[in-house]
Amino acid sequence: MADIHFSYLAFGVLTFLLIFLKLIIRPHPTKIPIKSRHVFITGGSSGIGLALARQVAAEGARVTILARDRNKLEQAKNSIRLSTGIDVNILSVDVCDFQAVKEAVESAGPIDVLVCNQGVFVAQEIVNQDMKEIQGMIDVNLTGTVNLVKAALPGMKNRSDRKPVSITFMSSQAGQVGIYGYAVYLATKFGLRGLAEALQQEVIADNIHVSLIFPPETDTPGLTKAKKMMPRLTSIMAACSSAMQADEVANKALNGIKSGSFFVFCNLEGLLLSIVTAGFSPQRSYFMAFVEVIFSGLVRIGVLCVQWTWYGSIEKLHA
Amino acid sequence: MTDANLSFLALCVLPIFFLIFLKLIVRPRPIKIPIKSRHVFITGGSSGIGLALARQAAAEGARVTILARDLNKLEKAKNSIRLSTGIDVNIVSVDVCDFQAVKEAVENAGPIDVLVCNQGVFVAQEIVNQDVKEIRGMIDVNLIGTINLVRAALPGMKNRSDRKPVSIAFMSSQAGQVGIYGYAAYSASKFGLRGLAEALQQEVIADDIHVSLIYPPETKTPGLAKARKTMSRLTSIITASSSEMEADEVAKKALNGIKSGCFSITCNLVGLLLSIATSGLSPQRSYLMAFVEVITVGAVRIVALCFQWSWYRAIEKWHAH
Repeated sequence: MADIHFSYLAFGVLTFLLIFLKLIIRPHPTKIPIKSRHVFITGGSSGIGLALARQVAAEGARVTILARDRNKLEQAKNSIRLSTGIDVNILSVDVCDFQAVKEAVESAGPIDVLVCNQGVFVAQEIVNQDMKEIQGMIDVNLTGTVNLVKAALPGMKNRSDRKPVSITFMSSQAGQVGIYGYAVYLATKFGLRGLAEALQQEVIADNIHVSLIFPPETDTPGLTKAKKMMPRLTSIMAACSSAMQADEVANKALNGIKSGSFFVFCNLEGLLLSIVTAGFSPQRSYFMAFVEVIFSGLVRIGVLCVQWTWYGSIEKLHA
Repeated sequence: MTDANLSFLALCVLPIFFLIFLKLIVRPRPIKIPIKSRHVFITGGSSGIGLALARQAAAEGARVTILARDLNKLEKAKNSIRLSTGIDVNIVSVDVCDFQAVKEAVENAGPIDVLVCNQGVFVAQEIVNQDVKEIRGMIDVNLIGTINLVRAALPGMKNRSDRKPVSIAFMSSQAGQVGIYGYAAYSASKFGLRGLAEALQQEVIADDIHVSLIYPPETKTPGLAKARKTMSRLTSIITASSSEMEADEVAKKALNGIKSGCFSITCNLVGLLLSIATSGLSPQRSYLMAFVEVITVGAVRIVALCFQWSWYRAIEKWHAH
C-alpha cells in the first residue's frame, strides 16, 4: 500500500518538476529557418565546415564559405557544385586579421547564420609545446571567433528582416573535458563557452541565438594531421568517445542550429557530457532541462569513475 | 523484517557504502601543500587580491616574490607588507605578456613552490561596443600571460630537487563559471583558464604538482573600482546575485584552498552553488565534496535555471525601456 502511495508521490513530483521547468526555462525556445537565408561558414573549405556548407546549400540556403587558402576554397566550391548543383560564395581571409574580417563580412551582405567553425588543434604536453603554436591556437580558435562576432554583430543587430538569426561556435568534446595533451586547445574551446554564455545574454533582445556544437573526434584532415604528433596518453583517453564522420556531425549541427539549442551534441557520449557540464548554461528545452536535473548526479558518478581510470593510466605510464 | 525497517536500513547503509566507494575512487588523491619556508610567487601581487595573498603568505612564514608591471606600485606594496608583517618580499617588474622576460624573471627568482597566476585585467562592456584591442588585451594578460608563466615555471618545477608537493594556482572568477551580460571577453579568458587547468593537472600530477582554480565573486579591489566606471547598469544588476567580498577574505579562502590542494576553490555560498553546478568533468580530491556534488547537482541545476530565468527577465525589462 505504502509502495503505491510512494509511486503516486514520485509521479506527482516529477510531473510538477516538468511543468515548473517548462515555465522557468530561458531564453524561450525558438526555430531558426535556413531556406533562402544567408549562412556564413568559416573554415568552410574542409572537414566539418565543408560538410555543413554542402548540407546547407542542399537545403536551399545562400552559402558563403571563408578560409585562408584560395585553392582549397575553389576545390570546395567545385565539390559542392558537383554534388548539389549549387554555387557558394568563397572568401579568402585570415580570421586573425580583424580589418580583413570586417571587410569580408560587410561585402558578403546581411548574415542570418554565422558559423564560426575555423580551428586548429595540436595535441602536445604544454611543457613541450612551442609558444608560437600556442599563440596560433589561441589566435585562430578564440580571438578569430571574437573578430568574427565583432564584425558581424552590428549588421545582425540592425538587420531589417527581424526573423531569428544564429551565431554558432564550433567547439569540441575536447572542449568540455580536460585531456592530457590538449591544455591549450581546451583553453580556447572553454573560452568559446564563456563567450557564448555571456554573448547570449547580450544579444537575446535582438532575436539572435547562440549555439555551441560539441562534436567528438571527427574524421577530417585536421584530425589526421594532429594524430601524427599526439602523445600516446592522449590517444588512450580520447578513444573513450567514438569518432564520427564529418557529414554526420554536420547533420547534427544543422539540426541543433535550426532548433536554436545552446548546446548541440552529436552522439551518446556527447549527450552525457552535455548533461554533466550543464552548469549555469541556459537550456531552451524543458525536456532536456528535466533530463539534466534527474541524471546529472548519476553522470557525475560516471565522470569520477572515468577520472579514476585516466589518472590510473597516467600513473601506470610513469611507473 | 518489515518493509519500513528494510527501507530505513537501506537509507542509512547505502550512503555509507557510497561514501566509501567515493573515498576509494576520487582522483587525484587528496594532498597537503605546506607554505611555511617555501617560495610563493604571486603575479599581479602589487594590489588587490594578489597583495592580500602576498601579505598572508608572508605572515605564515613563506618566502614571497611578487610580480607586476609597475615598479612604483611594487615598491609601495613591499613597504606595505613590511609595515604590517615585518617581512621583506622580493619584487619583480615584468609584463606577463612577454614570454622571454617572464622566463628570465622566473629563473632569477629561484625554485618556485607555489605559483599563483593572479594577474588580470577586467573591463565589463557589451562585446558589440568593446574595442577589439581591449578584448585582445584581456585574452593576452589573463590567458596567454598565465600560459607564459606556466611554460616558464614548469621545467623548474618538474626537475626540482626537493620532491615535496608544489602548487600552480590560477585566479579565475565567478565569471569564469558562468557567462554574464557585459563579461563576454572576460568570461572567455577566465573559462579558458579552467580548460587549461583541467588538462594541465593530468600532465603534471606525476611530478607531484597540484593545480588549483580560485573563483572569487566581485572583490573590493582597485581593479573592480575601475571597471565599475564603464560597466553597464544591467551587468551590475545581474552580478548583484553574488555578494561582494573583501580582498583579505578572498585571499584567506584562496590560501586555504591551495594548502589543501583543492582543484576548485570557492569563496562564498553562491560560489559553492556555482562549483557544484559546474563540477562537470573537473577532478574532485575530497570524497565528501564528491558526495555533496553527486547528491545535490540535480537540485542545483534547478537553482541555476532559476537564476537564468531572473537574469533573462532583467534583460527583457531593461530593453523594454
